[in-house]
Amino acid sequence: MYEQKLKELLSAWEETYKKGQLTFWIFLALQEGEKYVDEIKEFVETKSMGVITCEEQSLYRALRKYEHIGVLTYEQRKGNKGPERKYYYFTDLGQELFALFVQRNIQLFYSEEIRNLLKFQTNEANNA
Amino acid sequence: MKPITHSLIKFAIAAIVSATLFRYFLTYGIEIKSGSVIGISASIYAILMFLSGWNFGKEDKEYLPVYDVGFRFHFTTYLIHNVVSELWFVLGFNSKYENIAAIHTVAIIWGLFLLVHFIVFLRTRKNAINNLHKEDLFD
Repeated sequence: MYEQKLKELLSAWEETYKKGQLTFWIFLALQEGEKYVDEIKEFVETKSMGVITCEEQSLYRALRKYEHIGVLTYEQRKGNKGPERKYYYFTDLGQELFALFVQRNIQLFYSEEIRNLLKFQTNEANNA
Repeated sequence: MKPITHSLIKFAIAAIVSATLFRYFLTYGIEIKSGSVIGISASIYAILMFLSGWNFGKEDKEYLPVYDVGFRFHFTTYLIHNVVSELWFVLGFNSKYENIAAIHTVAIIWGLFLLVHFIVFLRTRKNAINNLHKEDLFD
Protein backbone atom coordinates (compact mmCIF):
# COMPACT_ATOMS: atom_id res chain seq x y z
CA MET A 1 0.00 0.00 0.00
CA TYR A 2 2.70 2.45 1.11
CA GLU A 3 5.03 1.37 -1.73
CA GLN A 4 2.23 1.69 -4.28
CA LYS A 5 1.36 5.18 -3.11
CA LEU A 6 5.03 6.20 -3.18
CA LYS A 7 5.33 4.91 -6.73
CA GLU A 8 2.20 6.75 -7.86
CA LEU A 9 3.27 10.01 -6.21
CA LEU A 10 6.75 9.78 -7.75
CA SER A 11 5.27 9.10 -11.16
CA ALA A 12 2.86 12.07 -10.84
CA TRP A 13 5.64 14.40 -9.71
CA GLU A 14 7.95 13.25 -12.50
CA GLU A 15 5.24 13.80 -15.09
CA THR A 16 5.02 17.44 -14.00
CA TYR A 17 8.77 17.81 -13.56
CA LYS A 18 9.56 16.45 -17.01
CA LYS A 19 7.50 19.18 -18.69
CA GLY A 20 10.05 21.67 -19.87
CA GLN A 21 12.94 19.27 -19.40
CA LEU A 22 13.27 18.26 -23.04
CA THR A 23 14.59 21.67 -24.07
CA PHE A 24 17.25 21.51 -21.38
CA TRP A 25 18.40 18.05 -22.47
CA ILE A 26 18.44 18.97 -26.17
CA PHE A 27 20.52 22.05 -25.39
CA LEU A 28 22.80 19.99 -23.16
CA ALA A 29 23.34 17.56 -26.04
CA LEU A 30 24.26 20.45 -28.33
CA GLN A 31 26.53 21.94 -25.70
CA GLU A 32 28.66 18.85 -26.20
CA GLY A 33 28.86 19.59 -29.93
CA GLU A 34 26.75 19.72 -33.08
CA LYS A 35 24.50 16.73 -33.59
CA TYR A 36 21.81 15.35 -35.87
CA VAL A 37 18.45 14.15 -34.60
CA ASP A 38 19.37 10.53 -33.85
CA GLU A 39 22.45 11.61 -31.95
CA ILE A 40 20.45 14.11 -29.88
CA LYS A 41 17.87 11.43 -29.09
CA GLU A 42 20.55 8.97 -28.06
CA PHE A 43 22.31 11.57 -25.91
CA VAL A 44 19.10 12.57 -24.13
CA GLU A 45 17.99 9.03 -23.40
CA THR A 46 21.41 7.74 -22.39
CA LYS A 47 22.61 10.66 -20.30
CA SER A 48 19.28 11.03 -18.51
CA MET A 49 19.46 7.29 -17.81
CA GLY A 50 16.15 6.76 -19.54
CA VAL A 51 14.27 9.24 -17.35
CA ILE A 52 13.71 11.55 -20.32
CA THR A 53 12.51 9.83 -23.46
CA CYS A 54 11.54 11.58 -26.65
CA GLU A 55 9.71 10.59 -29.78
CA GLU A 56 11.52 11.51 -32.98
CA GLN A 57 8.52 13.58 -34.09
CA SER A 58 8.58 15.64 -30.88
CA LEU A 59 12.28 16.17 -31.32
CA TYR A 60 11.89 17.38 -34.91
CA ARG A 61 9.07 19.69 -33.85
CA ALA A 62 11.13 21.11 -30.98
CA LEU A 63 14.17 21.65 -33.23
CA ARG A 64 12.02 23.42 -35.84
CA LYS A 65 10.77 25.78 -33.15
CA TYR A 66 14.26 26.53 -31.80
CA GLU A 67 15.48 27.14 -35.31
CA HIS A 68 12.49 29.41 -35.97
CA ILE A 69 13.17 31.57 -32.90
CA GLY A 70 16.85 31.76 -33.79
CA VAL A 71 18.48 29.84 -30.95
CA LEU A 72 19.61 26.93 -33.12
CA THR A 73 20.65 26.56 -36.69
CA TYR A 74 21.79 23.65 -38.81
CA GLU A 75 24.10 22.65 -41.56
CA GLN A 76 23.03 19.98 -44.00
CA ARG A 77 25.74 17.52 -44.87
CA LYS A 78 26.43 13.83 -45.35
CA GLY A 79 27.27 11.70 -42.35
CA ASN A 80 29.88 8.94 -42.42
CA LYS A 81 27.30 6.72 -44.06
CA GLY A 82 23.74 7.19 -45.20
CA PRO A 83 21.80 10.21 -46.43
CA GLU A 84 22.27 13.93 -45.85
CA ARG A 85 21.52 15.02 -42.31
CA LYS A 86 20.82 18.26 -40.55
CA TYR A 87 23.53 18.90 -37.99
CA TYR A 88 22.15 21.27 -35.37
CA TYR A 89 24.20 23.71 -33.35
CA PHE A 90 23.71 26.81 -31.20
CA THR A 91 23.58 30.31 -32.60
CA ASP A 92 25.18 33.03 -30.45
CA LEU A 93 21.72 33.84 -29.08
CA GLY A 94 21.10 30.19 -28.19
CA GLN A 95 24.49 29.81 -26.55
CA GLU A 96 23.92 32.86 -24.41
CA LEU A 97 20.36 31.79 -23.56
CA PHE A 98 21.56 28.38 -22.41
CA ALA A 99 24.40 29.87 -20.37
CA LEU A 100 22.00 32.27 -18.61
CA PHE A 101 19.46 29.52 -17.98
CA VAL A 102 22.10 27.27 -16.44
CA GLN A 103 23.47 30.10 -14.36
CA ARG A 104 20.04 30.99 -12.95
CA ASN A 105 18.46 27.55 -12.64
CA ILE A 106 21.09 24.83 -12.46
CA GLN A 107 24.16 26.26 -10.79
CA LEU A 108 22.30 26.91 -7.55
CA PHE A 109 22.26 23.14 -7.03
CA TYR A 110 26.04 23.29 -6.69
CA SER A 111 26.04 25.44 -3.54
CA GLU A 112 27.48 23.69 -0.47
CA GLU A 113 24.21 23.90 1.42
CA ILE A 114 22.05 22.48 -1.36
CA ARG A 115 24.59 19.77 -2.16
CA ASN A 116 24.55 18.63 1.47
CA LEU A 117 20.78 18.54 1.49
CA LEU A 118 20.73 16.53 -1.73
CA LYS A 119 23.37 14.16 -0.33
CA PHE A 120 21.11 13.60 2.65
CA GLN A 121 18.17 12.85 0.37
CA THR A 122 20.26 10.42 -1.68
CA ASN A 123 21.30 8.55 1.49
CA GLU A 124 17.66 8.39 2.61
CA ALA A 125 16.63 6.95 -0.73
CA ASN A 126 19.44 4.39 -0.64
CA ASN A 127 18.50 3.30 2.88
CA ALA A 128 14.82 2.96 1.99
CA MET B 1 8.22 34.48 -39.96
CA LYS B 2 7.22 32.15 -42.75
CA PRO B 3 3.51 33.00 -43.06
CA ILE B 4 3.01 30.92 -46.22
CA THR B 5 3.52 27.33 -45.12
CA HIS B 6 2.97 24.10 -47.10
CA SER B 7 -0.26 23.46 -45.19
CA LEU B 8 -1.55 26.94 -46.01
CA ILE B 9 -0.80 26.40 -49.71
CA LYS B 10 -2.67 23.06 -49.63
CA PHE B 11 -5.55 24.79 -47.85
CA ALA B 12 -5.55 27.54 -50.50
CA ILE B 13 -5.76 24.94 -53.30
CA ALA B 14 -8.66 23.20 -51.52
CA ALA B 15 -10.33 26.62 -51.08
CA ILE B 16 -9.93 27.49 -54.79
CA VAL B 17 -11.49 24.17 -55.83
CA SER B 18 -14.33 24.49 -53.28
CA ALA B 19 -15.06 28.14 -54.13
CA THR B 20 -15.10 27.41 -57.87
CA LEU B 21 -17.46 24.45 -57.42
CA PHE B 22 -19.65 26.55 -55.15
CA ARG B 23 -19.77 29.37 -57.70
CA TYR B 24 -20.70 26.92 -60.45
CA PHE B 25 -23.59 25.36 -58.52
CA LEU B 26 -24.69 28.73 -57.14
CA THR B 27 -24.97 30.16 -60.65
CA TYR B 28 -26.75 27.00 -61.78
CA GLY B 29 -29.17 27.19 -58.82
CA ILE B 30 -29.91 30.87 -59.51
CA GLU B 31 -30.33 30.18 -63.22
CA ILE B 32 -32.93 27.46 -62.64
CA LYS B 33 -34.32 29.38 -59.63
CA SER B 34 -33.86 26.47 -57.28
CA GLY B 35 -33.58 27.36 -53.61
CA SER B 36 -32.55 23.80 -52.74
CA VAL B 37 -29.60 23.76 -55.16
CA ILE B 38 -28.45 27.11 -53.75
CA GLY B 39 -28.94 25.98 -50.13
CA ILE B 40 -27.28 22.60 -50.59
CA SER B 41 -24.29 24.01 -52.50
CA ALA B 42 -23.79 26.72 -49.86
CA SER B 43 -23.97 24.13 -47.06
CA ILE B 44 -21.54 21.76 -48.80
CA TYR B 45 -19.19 24.68 -49.45
CA ALA B 46 -19.30 25.68 -45.77
CA ILE B 47 -18.66 22.07 -44.66
CA LEU B 48 -15.79 21.62 -47.12
CA MET B 49 -14.14 24.85 -45.98
CA PHE B 50 -14.56 23.92 -42.34
CA LEU B 51 -13.06 20.45 -42.85
CA SER B 52 -10.17 21.83 -44.93
CA GLY B 53 -9.42 24.45 -42.30
CA TRP B 54 -9.59 21.85 -39.55
CA ASN B 55 -7.34 19.38 -41.35
CA PHE B 56 -4.71 21.73 -42.76
CA GLY B 57 -4.79 23.96 -39.66
CA LYS B 58 -3.99 20.94 -37.51
CA GLU B 59 -1.21 19.88 -39.88
CA ASP B 60 0.16 23.44 -39.85
CA LYS B 61 0.20 23.55 -36.04
CA GLU B 62 1.95 20.20 -35.81
CA TYR B 63 4.69 21.45 -38.13
CA LEU B 64 5.17 24.79 -36.37
CA PRO B 65 2.68 26.19 -33.84
CA VAL B 66 2.42 29.68 -35.35
CA TYR B 67 0.25 31.73 -33.00
CA ASP B 68 -1.99 33.77 -35.28
CA VAL B 69 -5.44 32.92 -33.86
CA GLY B 70 -6.38 31.48 -37.28
CA PHE B 71 -5.90 34.79 -39.09
CA ARG B 72 -3.78 33.47 -41.99
CA PHE B 73 -6.39 30.81 -42.82
CA HIS B 74 -9.26 33.30 -42.50
CA PHE B 75 -7.50 35.86 -44.69
CA THR B 76 -6.73 33.19 -47.32
CA THR B 77 -10.39 32.09 -47.36
CA TYR B 78 -11.56 35.70 -47.72
CA LEU B 79 -9.14 36.44 -50.52
CA ILE B 80 -9.90 33.28 -52.50
CA HIS B 81 -13.67 33.45 -52.10
CA ASN B 82 -13.84 37.06 -53.25
CA VAL B 83 -11.30 36.74 -56.07
CA VAL B 84 -13.09 33.65 -57.44
CA SER B 85 -16.44 35.48 -57.20
CA GLU B 86 -15.11 38.60 -58.94
CA LEU B 87 -13.46 36.52 -61.68
CA TRP B 88 -16.71 34.63 -62.15
CA PHE B 89 -18.34 37.90 -63.17
CA VAL B 90 -15.35 39.23 -65.11
CA LEU B 91 -15.28 36.03 -67.19
CA GLY B 92 -19.03 36.22 -67.69
CA PHE B 93 -19.91 32.90 -66.00
CA ASN B 94 -22.56 34.50 -63.81
CA SER B 95 -26.29 34.03 -64.17
CA LYS B 96 -28.30 36.84 -65.73
CA TYR B 97 -30.23 37.07 -62.46
CA GLU B 98 -27.05 37.77 -60.46
CA ASN B 99 -25.79 41.23 -59.59
CA ILE B 100 -22.14 41.98 -58.87
CA ALA B 101 -23.25 44.39 -56.13
CA ALA B 102 -24.09 41.32 -54.01
CA ILE B 103 -20.46 40.15 -54.33
CA HIS B 104 -19.18 43.56 -53.23
CA THR B 105 -21.60 43.70 -50.30
CA VAL B 106 -20.39 40.28 -49.10
CA ALA B 107 -16.77 41.42 -49.48
CA ILE B 108 -17.39 44.58 -47.44
CA ILE B 109 -19.35 42.92 -44.61
CA TRP B 110 -16.98 39.96 -44.42
CA GLY B 111 -14.08 42.44 -44.64
CA LEU B 112 -15.30 44.13 -41.46
CA PHE B 113 -15.26 40.79 -39.63
CA LEU B 114 -11.80 40.15 -41.05
CA LEU B 115 -10.68 43.53 -39.76
CA VAL B 116 -11.89 42.65 -36.26
CA HIS B 117 -10.02 39.34 -36.54
CA PHE B 118 -6.90 41.26 -37.62
CA ILE B 119 -7.15 43.55 -34.59
CA VAL B 120 -7.45 40.51 -32.30
CA PHE B 121 -4.44 38.99 -34.09
CA LEU B 122 -2.40 42.17 -33.50
CA ARG B 123 -3.37 42.24 -29.84
CA THR B 124 -2.11 38.69 -29.32
CA ARG B 125 1.37 39.69 -30.57
CA LYS B 126 2.45 40.62 -27.06
CA ASN B 127 2.19 36.95 -26.03
CA ALA B 128 4.38 35.77 -28.90
CA ILE B 129 8.06 35.66 -29.81
CA ASN B 130 8.75 35.25 -33.53
CA ASN B 131 5.03 34.44 -33.92
CA LEU B 132 5.15 31.46 -31.56
CA HIS B 133 3.26 31.64 -28.28
CA LYS B 134 5.65 32.07 -25.35
CA GLU B 135 4.07 29.09 -23.61
CA ASP B 136 4.62 26.89 -26.67
CA LEU B 137 8.30 27.68 -27.11
CA PHE B 138 10.00 25.29 -24.72
CA ASP B 139 8.92 21.71 -24.11
